[in-house]
Amino acid sequence: MDFTLTDEQELLQQTARALLENECPSTLVRAHMQDPSAVDPLWDKHLRDWVALADGELVDLCLFLTETGAVIAPGPYFATAALFAPLIKKVDRRLHDAVIAGEATGTVAMAGPEGEWTISSASKRTFVPEADRVDYVAVVLPGPRVLVTGGLPARQMETIDTTRRVFEIEVPRDAATPVEIDEADLTDLLERATVALAAELIGTARWLLDSTVAYTKERIQFDRPVGSFQGLQWKMVDMALDYERAAAAVSYAAMAIDAADPERHRAAHVAKAAAGRAALHCARGGLQCHGGIGYTWEHDLHLYLRRAYASEYLLGSVDWHLDRLAELLID
Amino acid sequence: MKLSWSEEDEAFRAELRQFLDAHAPPEARRRNRDYDLGDALPEWGRHWQATLFDNGWMIPAYPPELGGRNATPVQTLLYLEELNRQQIIRSLHFGGYAIVGPSLLEFGSEQQRELAAPSIRGDIVWCVGMSEPNAGSDLAGLQTRAVDDGDTFVVSGQKVWTSYAMIADRCFCYVRTDRDAPKHKGISVLMIDMDTPGIDVRPLRHISGKADFAEVFFDEVVVPKENLIGDLNGGWRITMGSLAHERGALWVEGVAASQQLVEELIELARDRGVAADAGVRRRLAAAYERTQSLRALGYKGFAGFAQGSSAPEHSYMKLATSEFRKELTQLGLDLEGPFGVVTGGEWGADPARWVNRHFIALAGTIGGGTSEIQRNVIASRVLGLPKG
Repeated sequence: MDFTLTDEQELLQQTARALLENECPSTLVRAHMQDPSAVDPLWDKHLRDWVALADGELVDLCLFLTETGAVIAPGPYFATAALFAPLIKKVDRRLHDAVIAGEATGTVAMAGPEGEWTISSASKRTFVPEADRVDYVAVVLPGPRVLVTGGLPARQMETIDTTRRVFEIEVPRDAATPVEIDEADLTDLLERATVALAAELIGTARWLLDSTVAYTKERIQFDRPVGSFQGLQWKMVDMALDYERAAAAVSYAAMAIDAADPERHRAAHVAKAAAGRAALHCARGGLQCHGGIGYTWEHDLHLYLRRAYASEYLLGSVDWHLDRLAELLID
Repeated sequence: MKLSWSEEDEAFRAELRQFLDAHAPPEARRRNRDYDLGDALPEWGRHWQATLFDNGWMIPAYPPELGGRNATPVQTLLYLEELNRQQIIRSLHFGGYAIVGPSLLEFGSEQQRELAAPSIRGDIVWCVGMSEPNAGSDLAGLQTRAVDDGDTFVVSGQKVWTSYAMIADRCFCYVRTDRDAPKHKGISVLMIDMDTPGIDVRPLRHISGKADFAEVFFDEVVVPKENLIGDLNGGWRITMGSLAHERGALWVEGVAASQQLVEELIELARDRGVAADAGVRRRLAAAYERTQSLRALGYKGFAGFAQGSSAPEHSYMKLATSEFRKELTQLGLDLEGPFGVVTGGEWGADPARWVNRHFIALAGTIGGGTSEIQRNVIASRVLGLPKG
């Protein structure tokens, strides 16, 4: 397998990184905490133009999502590009075209009361990202069928993470007729979304690792930078190793999905498990290496730590993915 | 980024497969081989290495006169992938083709460079004298000294953990030629004939019970001056010498071994009737996850290597695969249960017991640079952290 980025992919990566570093500073992330509409200009002026990536190779979307994860960008981008767009492509081509053109936003309501992203016959859906501020909600019903609807009453679930807002909704009873969807298609797009979330986690892990390495080079104790102490160095090396292998696993999974390779199912579970592990390792280890300053509200580290934990438990935790992987490997 | 290689590269792989099918002797397949080399090199080993060389399959990146076919980096990767997938070894002694040959080509005199081809072909068997009782991780602290005696050097001292010393024709030996210089600047490399009077080779038995290393004692061994390789007191540079062409793919072996172990562990879990156990399943899945992510990391680093940039990813691979192999083999031991520690007698000894593989794995995080040294190197060279 060839991990060499094409010239276009390198350009995409650099452009996205520069754009997001400029347009999504942590002041915006904090403003969004108080008022979700603070992120609207970022969406209107920039991110809507990048939803088109959802209709191309997953490798490209993942490169972009790694950069949104590195600035923990709030707003409807992930819900629209990683969840809604691939689902709506299967059920409503016209709406899909509008979404890809950046003209409409959407999200997916699938997880039932238990919070797991499996087909549910319950009357509630939980962990629906950004449900109150998107144009459309696609509700996955038994069958499987999909019900696409406009504004729905949504109750915000209070979580540790303020950067990705999640909601509980009631499955609407007498709305439009649901559309049938192939179960294999549903599996495919869930795998796509899982790898996309893993890519975003890689960006978050990268920020945590880079910030930690940079801080320990500057922080002086006992008359020397704390990053010169072997106890901290080895901790950071182990964080970096988990980060590096997870980043590679995510790229591989995206390539496997793009090539419709038979390995893609295993690769998707590996990607999310590795990314979740790496992000939490970098979050906990990063906090420890920062010491007291990292535990303050004022420092940005906790924003990333919260996002990492919340994303680990969204679309399947490490253990959940290992259990699915075991089924594919052993049974 | 894409999963497949070019048609040209796939044709290269197909040609290699044909060659291996036709020529590889059964003994060269790892699972058929006892690891104890003893004190004689088997004839099939000599013949196999020479066959690889003569057909341009010993070091594919080299030109034909050095046992290769001018292969590209990608082809070198495919070559190592294929050998490891089929668990075929190239040589029973890596010192000559992987260390001495490339070092002679880079640092040797014109006359010495002519020794490269027979070293790579295995006609000359080499041992490499590096570690000493007081120079392990701190290799530059080595004390075996070579005293200038006109036309010759007189060498006295002791080497340890010297692989293949029992079968070697020559020793590629690191010695101290200037005791007053800073420790990195007083080291030279000598080529020493193992038949020279004053050399005593004692097999060194290690914890797995085998003796495939040796201690080598030098007592006033007389070495001609023309056997100096490279500059006098310039030996430290040569420690960095290795097969540069294959540096981007050295991780392939560790990853292939992990893949093989995971498959065997899944079989073992089934045989032991614990494949439905939730704890066992999670450990197996985690082992697969780690193997596959490391495999991806190896390929990612290779992409950088093939383009001529540095590949920091590869710094992690030795550390990661050797540490991981300890956990994998421990899992085998755990799955075997109480009888996993039984190695002989009427209770049924299986020479392939996981405990043996575990003991071998325990050496993997010590030899070739300990995990602790690897972490120090990564901290400084990859993460750019300040020296302690």
